[in-house]
Amino acid sequence: MSRLTRGYVTNELNIMTTAEQESLIIRRGSPWWRMLLRDRFALVAALWLFVLTLCFLFGPLLFEDAATKLNLRARNLPPGSLEHGWLMYLGGDALGRPMLARLIVASRNTLAIALSAVFVAMIVGGILGMIAGYVGRSVGHVIMRFADILQSFPSLLLAVVVLYILEPNVTNLVIVLAITRLPIYLRVTRAEVLEIRERVFVDAARALGGSRYHILRRHITPVVAPTLLTILTVDFSIVMLAESSLSFLGIGIQPPEITWGLMVAAGRNYLSQAWWLAFLPGLAIMMATLSGNILSNWLRVVSDPEQRWRLEDSSGKKSGQTDA
Amino acid sequence: MASFLGRRALHSAIALIGLILAVFFLVRLTGDPTDLYLPIDASLETRKEFAHKHGFDRPSAEQFLVFLKDVSNGDLGYSLRKQRPAMELVLEAYPTTLALAGVAMVLSITLAIIVGAIAAYKPGGVFDRISSMASLAGASAPDFWIAITGILIFAVTLRWLPTSGVGDLPYWILPIGVLMLRPFGLMVQVVRAAMLGALSSAYVKTARAKGVGETAVIFVHALRNACLSIVTVAGDLTVGMINGAVIVETVFGWPGVGKLMIDSVMQRDFPTVQATIMVTATAIFLLNIAIDFLYVALDPRIRHQ
Amino acid sequence: MKQMTSRHGAGRWLTAAAAVTAVLGVTGALHSAQAQKIVTVVLSEEPEGLDGCNANRSTVGRVAKQNIVETLTEIDPKDGTIRPRLATSWTKVNATTWRFELRKGVKFHDGADFNATNASKAISRTMDSKLDCETRTKSFGDLKLSTKAVGSHTLDISANKPVPILPTRMGVVSLSSPNTRTDKLVLNPIGTGPYVFDKWTPGQEITLKRFNGYWGKKPVVEGARYIWRSESTVRAAMVEVGEADIAPNIAVQDATNPKMDFSYPNSETTRLRIDITQAPLNDKRVRLALNYAFDRDALIGSILSKDIEHATQIIVPSINGHNPALKVRKYDPAMAKKLIAEAKAAGVPVGKEIVIIGRTNIYPNGTEAMEAMMSMFQDVGLNVKLRMMEVGSWLKYLTKPYDKNRGAILLQAQHDNNNGDAVFSVFNKFACGGAQSSICNKPMDELISKASTMSGDERRKTWQEVNRIIYEDITSDVWMYHMVGYSRVGGRINFTPSISTNSELHLEEMSFK
Repeated sequence: MSRLTRGYVTNELNIMTTAEQESLIIRRGSPWWRMLLRDRFALVAALWLFVLTLCFLFGPLLFEDAATKLNLRARNLPPGSLEHGWLMYLGGDALGRPMLARLIVASRNTLAIALSAVFVAMIVGGILGMIAGYVGRSVGHVIMRFADILQSFPSLLLAVVVLYILEPNVTNLVIVLAITRLPIYLRVTRAEVLEIRERVFVDAARALGGSRYHILRRHITPVVAPTLLTILTVDFSIVMLAESSLSFLGIGIQPPEITWGLMVAAGRNYLSQAWWLAFLPGLAIMMATLSGNILSNWLRVVSDPEQRWRLEDSSGKKSGQTDA
Repeated sequence: MASFLGRRALHSAIALIGLILAVFFLVRLTGDPTDLYLPIDASLETRKEFAHKHGFDRPSAEQFLVFLKDVSNGDLGYSLRKQRPAMELVLEAYPTTLALAGVAMVLSITLAIIVGAIAAYKPGGVFDRISSMASLAGASAPDFWIAITGILIFAVTLRWLPTSGVGDLPYWILPIGVLMLRPFGLMVQVVRAAMLGALSSAYVKTARAKGVGETAVIFVHALRNACLSIVTVAGDLTVGMINGAVIVETVFGWPGVGKLMIDSVMQRDFPTVQATIMVTATAIFLLNIAIDFLYVALDPRIRHQ
Repeated sequence: MKQMTSRHGAGRWLTAAAAVTAVLGVTGALHSAQAQKIVTVVLSEEPEGLDGCNANRSTVGRVAKQNIVETLTEIDPKDGTIRPRLATSWTKVNATTWRFELRKGVKFHDGADFNATNASKAISRTMDSKLDCETRTKSFGDLKLSTKAVGSHTLDISANKPVPILPTRMGVVSLSSPNTRTDKLVLNPIGTGPYVFDKWTPGQEITLKRFNGYWGKKPVVEGARYIWRSESTVRAAMVEVGEADIAPNIAVQDATNPKMDFSYPNSETTRLRIDITQAPLNDKRVRLALNYAFDRDALIGSILSKDIEHATQIIVPSINGHNPALKVRKYDPAMAKKLIAEAKAAGVPVGKEIVIIGRTNIYPNGTEAMEAMMSMFQDVGLNVKLRMMEVGSWLKYLTKPYDKNRGAILLQAQHDNNNGDAVFSVFNKFACGGAQSSICNKPMDELISKASTMSGDERRKTWQEVNRIIYEDITSDVWMYHMVGYSRVGGRINFTPSISTNSELHLEEMSFK
């Protein structure tokens, strides 16, 4: 019973694990960029993520001032006009600050929070999961009960506690969000490890005298990692939305900091008069998530020998391959 | 089976006690609630007197002993904010949350299985692309934003539905719709992935070779194999929802446990927070055990281990 | 817990389904109310309780005050004068005692007679320290009242110190039936008012019915239904589509329909409280600079309502003690910069960080207002940061004891006084012993205690002088505005919101078109 895989991707992973370590290595055929060019969705997604990366790196540097400069005359300015300069093309917010500049500047906080939260959750959850699955039963039980507690601990209460005792800044928000996402990584890793440790190649490594640490690092981590990365892409949006919900409820990040989530939460007060205040940052969250998911789906297909053909050649082989 | 159940119950009980301990002390770290209960203009003397009367000025450890004594007498505390026993408040709110979560999850799972299975049948096809995109877009939209926009469109502009509140069928449409977005979006992804795996398995190929119809192949043979991961994810999502559909309850004015929890946390209504967590955590632990049973029922291999 | 034990695994959907039917059943008959003369009011939050002795808390008062429970005297919201309600007249017996003649022929909803004995019981219950009645904790502080029935309808009320405005103070004391339990607060208030408490479906609605034995004029509205939604947009939408008749409180940006939306001064005054003990705010030039740097007109009609007024003191003009002579400081960034330069030259560390502590949802668009003010202060060269907090954390900064390492703080605050006299505001906010005071000025403290014992013109003038000292001599605040609230009133009823709509909503004043 303890072997149950409680993750998003159990069966699908069975495919991946048959391909084992080499699964991510592209063995034959076209280079990755040719395959990317062939899949228009993936291409658009990749381009969008590239733009976001640029915003993340240089946005605050270039637009910080524009994004915080008050201009009450351009208050709730509707989007679609160049009259007040190109930064105002997406309209102005409740204080007349250009939406475009704010969206660009907010990308850094938003992505930093979401990425660090999911990575921290993945790394801590992964390590704890490995210990629980590999080291021993009693340690495993303690860790699993700990996961039970975390899972049934309301994230909201946790947020209030942490943000009350510590300051409500980006770092502490990351801590809160990471803790709430931690159990899923922990459970999935443990379930995977329990299965993998019985496999032949792990036995062989053990027989050859590999230390626990060596086996975990060299043999188990590479197999578990793709599963965790898959969950990570889904979690990415969950975390961004959770951050937004916290702002909506009045905890979490607060002005003058900006994140997309906070912009949505603040803009919702104006939904009936100035829909773009909440719509545009909401759209930004949606597009970032969608791009991440599309690209991760694409990566999975590319790295999966059973599906790779779809991107390599679209003519002729189709009917023969569907049933393969 | 009985020993398994016993062991699982014991583990859950230990975790539950751990949780209650953690909540008891952590919630008290958020500060003395005196200021929140008293009017903002209360004098310093009134504040002192109030804190003393309700024991807020005593150390947490001492408060915990009092709490233990009360619990052993079956008293789970009194909500100063609502002037009612805390457990009464929780049990009153819980059916609403269960109803919301139940309906939303049943609908999400059913729809997701249909959509995900069709998508997986022709991966990369038009239906697959559109359903994947749409479900993901729905899952990544901020729910309060969808909720308020939904009210403005369907209740104010079109006047098809009531804005909010609890009532008969029309009142359920918007809240359930909003609540379904995320589980449906995630489930479609999971069902699709699981079905992809199942459809290429030897088992399904055998069924096809035997001349089983395509509909039966998808919805009987392949779906059965994909069940485990669907149950896993559905379980996780349900756990999340049992903790309260805070946003939907807040916007639509549904008196559920999520709203009760956030109000109690913000108002530092400690007894209610504790009672809420006791009930939700018990429900979550029961749900987890139920999921484990479902696994056994679905996958005979697990039974043998 | 009975519910929980029956909920094993597979049965949970069944339970949920049962719950669905239960919830459906409870509120099946929503629309039938529209046909009758019943008013539906959509509030921003569910009342915490409904005990009559909590009726001066706005969430309770909107439902109960003067509808279910009534007071001896009533304060006219327009000019602060006192009108009779359950008392018909009153006279001063001595410095600490007043004699009230009570209205005859009044009955409580449970049939009990309203007489001096029962009124005395009700007052004693409110003043009982075993109960946490908000009327006592908010408006009486260390003031203790004792009562004595001297005739069947004559009541003497004495205080433990001279209270020249006792009749005004009695305007906040609502009287419940003598049969109300005295060991804890109740959820079903029984009073003398024109409406009887009918039913409370927790989390969903409260209903009131018209009281047929009411002593006064029979009101038109037959009953009321109170519901609550936390989002202003939703409340406004509900009135617009006819699901509710009145939304007493909506945000300025939702008040877009001039036919339905009314603004009313809500007796709230907003300010930034300056912590004058901390450098650089301990220098008056810096405090003045903050005042000159604040572009007061810019927020009016943009982020905040166009109907708000500039404030120079804690109380609104209709309250006794308001000083009309105080002049609003004009926006003058050059002056602000000059003052800061002078302070700097005198060795004041003007570059030190100043933090605005704001509270989320304190008033509609309060966060935007703070962002704007931060930006204005930064424009004159001050190092100002903004931190928005939820109410629990914010209260730590509002009330004593203050943290020693708090740093230089500007606290976003709002105060509501519609009780007729400055005494309800000034002591707590500005006296040395005030729970929320950031200043301690000995001569002014003496004036405050003296004013509390005075009456008439003398009292008004003394309060005015106190307000002048706070504004001109100390400058312990950046005064913002006397605020307005917005109510949306549906097309079915006649009702004009007033200054008291914030805390009381009199059903008897409403009628149908």
